Amino acid sequence: MPAIEVRDLRKTFRTRRKAAGMRASLRALVRPAYQEVEAVRGITFEMEAGEVLGFIGPNGAGKSTTIKMLTGILYPTGGEARVLGLVPWEERRALAYRIGTVFGQRPQLWYHLPAVDTFRLFGKIYEMEERDLTRRISELAEAFEIRDLLEIPVRKLSLGQRMRCEVAASFLHKPQLLLLDEPSIGLDVVAKQHIRDAIRRMSRQEGVGVLLTSHDAGDLEALCKRVIIINHGQIVYRDTVSNLKRRYLTTKEVGVRFAERVPADFRMEGVEVLKVGRYGVKLRFDARRTPVERVLSGLGAWGDLVDITITDPPLETVIARIYQKAADNG
Amino acid sequence: MGKYAAIFRIQLLNSLAYPLEFLGRSVMVMLFLWIFFQLWSVVYAVNGGGRMEGLRLHDTLWYFMLAETIELGRPRLAQSIAQAVKDGSIAYLLNKPFDFLLYQMSAGMGESAVRMGLVAFFGSAVTWWMVGPPPAPAGWLPALLLVLGAWMLHFCVNALIGLLAFVAEEVTPFEWIYQKLTFILGGLLIPLDFYPDWLQRAARALPFPAMLYGPARFFVQPEGALFWNTAGMQLAWMLALGSLLLLAYRGGVRRLVINGG
Repeated sequence: MPAIEVRDLRKTFRTRRKAAGMRASLRALVRPAYQEVEAVRGITFEMEAGEVLGFIGPNGAGKSTTIKMLTGILYPTGGEARVLGLVPWEERRALAYRIGTVFGQRPQLWYHLPAVDTFRLFGKIYEMEERDLTRRISELAEAFEIRDLLEIPVRKLSLGQRMRCEVAASFLHKPQLLLLDEPSIGLDVVAKQHIRDAIRRMSRQEGVGVLLTSHDAGDLEALCKRVIIINHGQIVYRDTVSNLKRRYLTTKEVGVRFAERVPADFRMEGVEVLKVGRYGVKLRFDARRTPVERVLSGLGAWGDLVDITITDPPLETVIARIYQKAADNG
Repeated sequence: MGKYAAIFRIQLLNSLAYPLEFLGRSVMVMLFLWIFFQLWSVVYAVNGGGRMEGLRLHDTLWYFMLAETIELGRPRLAQSIAQAVKDGSIAYLLNKPFDFLLYQMSAGMGESAVRMGLVAFFGSAVTWWMVGPPPAPAGWLPALLLVLGAWMLHFCVNALIGLLAFVAEEVTPFEWIYQKLTFILGGLLIPLDFYPDWLQRAARALPFPAMLYGPARFFVQPEGALFWNTAGMQLAWMLALGSLLLLAYRGGVRRLVINGG
């Protein structure tokens, strides 16, 4: 059974239109004008049990509306969904016991108390046995490396430490599905790595499906096999992360240092010259049109190479390009 | 239910995390009581001492002590519920396996337990020092029951005001009106006995006396008739306000799941 099945899911909000000017405001008091906003416009996808699926899109794309429908706190306007076999908006309570959620911007831990107090509270809320709870806390303390942090009031933890505790708390009741909304927001590189490692380890160990939304392409690369990109309430791209990279990460940037001075009129066929310095140049080229080896041999013709770096553009740019493309087509 | 006991407990712990704030509040209570002691002393002296409307200076001060305990210890949920409604975070409380209103109630009780305990402790100390020992212990337990009833009414009104955020932009004015009404018609500042007849009658037609006056008045002169009268009022209003709250909550949630709040 798939963890999530969504077919043609739609959500339209009716919001009151605020008119400008005194007369329009007065008229709105008597007969308010409404405006329909289509937040989600018919999306269809499936997620396998135990899969880690990236669900991304720019702000206002319909991500959180979709997640709210999947957790049952929002009725759809149309379409169907099953989460762990349940219709979320009809069986919200039953579903709540089987899913875990982390909303990066809405902490669940009690701020002035040690995290272990919240863990114990959640244990009661999810009706866990005392013995299981104690064992589970100990397991999670290990997996997330938070044993020393559990007894410290949450307000005294760094953001990274706090997020580790947050995510650990969402695993407490052994959910079969985890909805992680921006779990790495605001964290530094090391802290991000920490969280990703722990999520990956736990989801593999326990076969927990994870639906991950993130602005951080690094999260996707590290955690997800597959990615769905939505924009304007519709799915604009779905594929594996590796295909995404293969198809879109075709441009490369090269930085070179030469042993001798670079002539000011440096140029090369099929390559865009970004910068010419005294001893170095910076280039960009499309690897599909200009093979890497041709670039390298071409560079050798200009002098002895001292140093060279080849980099891919960050996945963020790639995703931005996909949004752009979808916008142009739409 | 174990989960609600756990919520009560964690909110209690949370409230204890701020000892300084509590100390401040307790000092404030002692100051209030001292000021009212000065005031009532003059009033009683002018009226020749003894009893006024059946109350001695001693009774009036102990009355005020308990009334302050209820007022300062009552739930203060309207703003936090309103905030949760306005910023949408109420939705994230709904996808946990507990009942939202029972959650708020348990958490509110945890907070009130700490606050009422402290106010009663410091308040009693200073009142004892000013006018002598508290009323006979025989009436304490029933008085505590009435305080609990009063607390429930305050909870219903607070939650209702908080849920008003579904339809009103700002709930502070409602909160302000409710507070002032409890001050005057609830008999916080002056026991209802001292009011003119018509005002007393008007007040008794409303829930406010059951939220302050009843428990405090019973505490200083524990008489069976007053207990049953107050408890009956509390029960009736709990039924009315509780049903209203349930309706408002259901309506709010329906609005939320259909229109996203």
